[in-house]
Amino acid sequence: MDDCIFCRIIEGKVAAERVYEDDQVVAFHDAYPASPVHILIVPRRHLPTLNDIPDGDTILSHMGRVARKIAEDLGVAESGYRFFVNVNREGGQVVFHLHAHVVSGNDFGTFIIKLAIGFAILWRRLVKLARGA
Amino acid sequence: MSDASAECVFCRIAQGKNPAEIVYQDETVVAFWDANPQYPVHILIVPRRHIPTFNDISSEDDILCRIGQAAQKVAQQMGVAESGYRVLFNVNRGGGQVIFHLHCHLFAREAPSRA
Repeated sequence: MDDCIFCRIIEGKVAAERVYEDDQVVAFHDAYPASPVHILIVPRRHLPTLNDIPDGDTILSHMGRVARKIAEDLGVAESGYRFFVNVNREGGQVVFHLHAHVVSGNDFGTFIIKLAIGFAILWRRLVKLARGA
Repeated sequence: MSDASAECVFCRIAQGKNPAEIVYQDETVVAFWDANPQYPVHILIVPRRHIPTFNDISSEDDILCRIGQAAQKVAQQMGVAESGYRVLFNVNRGGGQVIFHLHCHLFAREAPSRA
């Protein structure tokens, strides 16, 4: 998909700081990290949201295995981390290409989530304003 | 799973020994309301098997897919699938995990708009 930023990153057309990739997923640092460790794990296939994963599809399990590997590589697997998927607008999803966040490195997990929601709301208002102008 | 299941509150809920407001279950997972919900929708989805943390999912295990499928159904059932929700795993202490039986939080900040 030409207009999807994550598809473009996967195709190498947009730069990103990759930490892992295989035949199913690409993982890279979030462009706007909300904590010292903030990685996005993105399937190569363009599935818009978690709701669009077909029954029996194994992508989420694979994303989970990759998350654990990344957490180990970054030295946070034992200390702790969060793995989350935002689904649709009210869930804080901004880019509509399925992705999981792996976040660690501070005590602000809740703060990050709040921040993400704040940004999502702000973004939506900006988009509305821009369209109205 | 002898000792773990006797002690573990989520094992006990999955076995029907502890009460919980169950919203969905199948052969691999059980989903129920968080005992202290922090959001208008706050459901926990747990595997019936006792797996301590996200790190302990074995490489051939497809439990995460099963949890994901359950999450889709629960979100649909709670009326938040289209408006939006979050699926969150806290892993180990620093990740905010309190009960060491793998579980995911499914939550939505907005109350569902029921038809």
